[in-house]
Amino acid sequence: MTHDLPTDPPPAGETGHVDSAAGPPLTVAVQRGELNQFTVFTRSNRPFVIGLAIVAVSIFLMAFGPLLGTHNPTAEDFNATLTGPSGHHWFGTDQNGRDIFSRTIAAPRIDLYIALVSTFLAMALGVPLGVLATGTSRLGELVGEWMLRAMDVIQAFPVFILALALVAGFGPSAVNVIIALTVLQFPVFLRLTRGAALGVRGRTFVEAARIGGAGTGGVMLRHVLPNSIGPALVGASVSVAQAVLITAGLSFVGAGIRPPTPEWGAMISDGAQSLITGQWWPSVFPGVGLGIVVLGYALVGDGLRLYLDPSRRQ
Amino acid sequence: MRILWYTARRLLYVIPQVVGISLVTFVIVRLLPSNPAYALAGPAATQETINTIEKRLGLNEPIWTQYGKYIRDLVQGNFGNSFVSGRPVLSDIGDRLPATLELLALGLLLAFLIGVPLGVLGALGRGRRIAGRASLGYGLLAGAIPDFWLGLILVYAFYTKLNIVPAPLGQLGTDVRAPRNITGAVALDSLLTGNWAALQSALGHLVLPLATLVFVYMAPIVKYTRSSIEDVYYGSEFIEQYRANGLSHRAILVRALRNGLPPVITIVGVLFGFLLGGLVLIEQVFAWGGFGQYAVQAITNSDFSAVEGFVVVAAMFNLFVYLIVDLLYFIVDPRLRAGAT
Repeated sequence: MTHDLPTDPPPAGETGHVDSAAGPPLTVAVQRGELNQFTVFTRSNRPFVIGLAIVAVSIFLMAFGPLLGTHNPTAEDFNATLTGPSGHHWFGTDQNGRDIFSRTIAAPRIDLYIALVSTFLAMALGVPLGVLATGTSRLGELVGEWMLRAMDVIQAFPVFILALALVAGFGPSAVNVIIALTVLQFPVFLRLTRGAALGVRGRTFVEAARIGGAGTGGVMLRHVLPNSIGPALVGASVSVAQAVLITAGLSFVGAGIRPPTPEWGAMISDGAQSLITGQWWPSVFPGVGLGIVVLGYALVGDGLRLYLDPSRRQ
Repeated sequence: MRILWYTARRLLYVIPQVVGISLVTFVIVRLLPSNPAYALAGPAATQETINTIEKRLGLNEPIWTQYGKYIRDLVQGNFGNSFVSGRPVLSDIGDRLPATLELLALGLLLAFLIGVPLGVLGALGRGRRIAGRASLGYGLLAGAIPDFWLGLILVYAFYTKLNIVPAPLGQLGTDVRAPRNITGAVALDSLLTGNWAALQSALGHLVLPLATLVFVYMAPIVKYTRSSIEDVYYGSEFIEQYRANGLSHRAILVRALRNGLPPVITIVGVLFGFLLGGLVLIEQVFAWGGFGQYAVQAITNSDFSAVEGFVVVAAMFNLFVYLIVDLLYFIVDPRLRAGAT
């Protein structure tokens, strides 16, 4: 049970102490070094390692996947349509005779690319705004309040429908999916960072920097921002998983990436007809690929949350 | 009395949000480069035909005039006519919404009834490895599986292979007489009118979409119940006190549940709001003909009024659900009641 996140908290009453005393990392941890500490943590947390491995493989496939298949992922062969898995076509072929194995491992090129870029953009937008939303001046408070109310409005929209409307309106393309996902996800980062920054703002080292004469902007940039980025990092891996699922969903209804580009959602949609008539492989394999990648990022998110949890750092 | 006051205050807050939602919706929908006049006129239309249609739809007026008109209509509950069906958007939505609500309400009810006991088992199973691990593993698995894919797999297994459920083509078989329309929800109407053949068919059609929904979206319920009950059951002093006083295991659990359930209520509310639009993919797989599919059609046809109507209704529904969640909290949590004056 090493992995179980909210389980085994310290006995009642002690939690509060540990939290408040955990402030700046203890000297032991500093001496041991961040990297060393991370290695120790990793060694004792198997699901996190599995997650990291999946993430590494998915990024490797994003870079080289389209080159690694046994066939050209977009080549059609009308002499071999809907053939089952065999030595020649490991995962079988779809209704156009395209090799499903090659397509499944080529798909991260587009699916993961969209997810990573949109998450990066959402973070780049949401994290600084989240710090900004904690301003203490009268104007700053007003701006922060309005930002939060605006996020309420964005987040009140049905996520998937909003993405669908944006992508359908501007045309189905990778860039438009990225834009839609960025718009949808940045409020999450804004909220996460704001929450953390509110906690950091009152801590002693920030006070010290301010007393030492650093300007408001400098304090926020150099002290508050780096110390409140943890939750956003955890959020990032969840966000990547979510983005992969939404991209596949959009493509499933024909509003994301279109065939013949190898993309998991579009492949599942392509195979849906054959599934009813008994050919399971065109839909099953891309779904498994999609599920494994989403699982990997979720595991990394869980692990990071555990690692960054101050009460865990003894 | 206090609850009325609280409700009134919360409702007041809803007004600017609704205005914000309608504004954002309007801007997004008008920003879309696709022109419904072209879609409506067809590919062979002359410029003249297109101009006529644009004029009829009011698309040639300045955008702020269009917005003024849109808000005026919205206040009167008029979402305009769908370009595609030619009927008022509100009655289109009224026809489609019950199908989605029936599926959603049944699904979340089941997920709650199964998920909470599972979560409690997981929490109490902390000492016993298997229960804890199983609940954790299920959470991760369900979170990673795309709902539309699971739906297809279930169709393959139970329709194509085993053939024990009806074909995934809507809410009712074509061989039974549809029930008289009372609420618009097919299973409920069949029950109300005593149309047993239709009820049987409707329930048969509900099995797979429900199973998909419950399996995928019960995960957050299990997870929140587990961590919340764990915190209360193992981490709070009043439970410790009960234990020291010698209360029975069961009595302690009941008290822990009462304290641990509010976050679970929130997550069910959030799921309800999310799934109203997010059920699209499951609806698509089972050709459910509900609210979500209506939106997909509207979007693919650039049906402005229909998209606006859908988004505004869904977002307002969301706000309404959050309001109910807050009120439930208010009822369940005595601290809020004491503090909210």
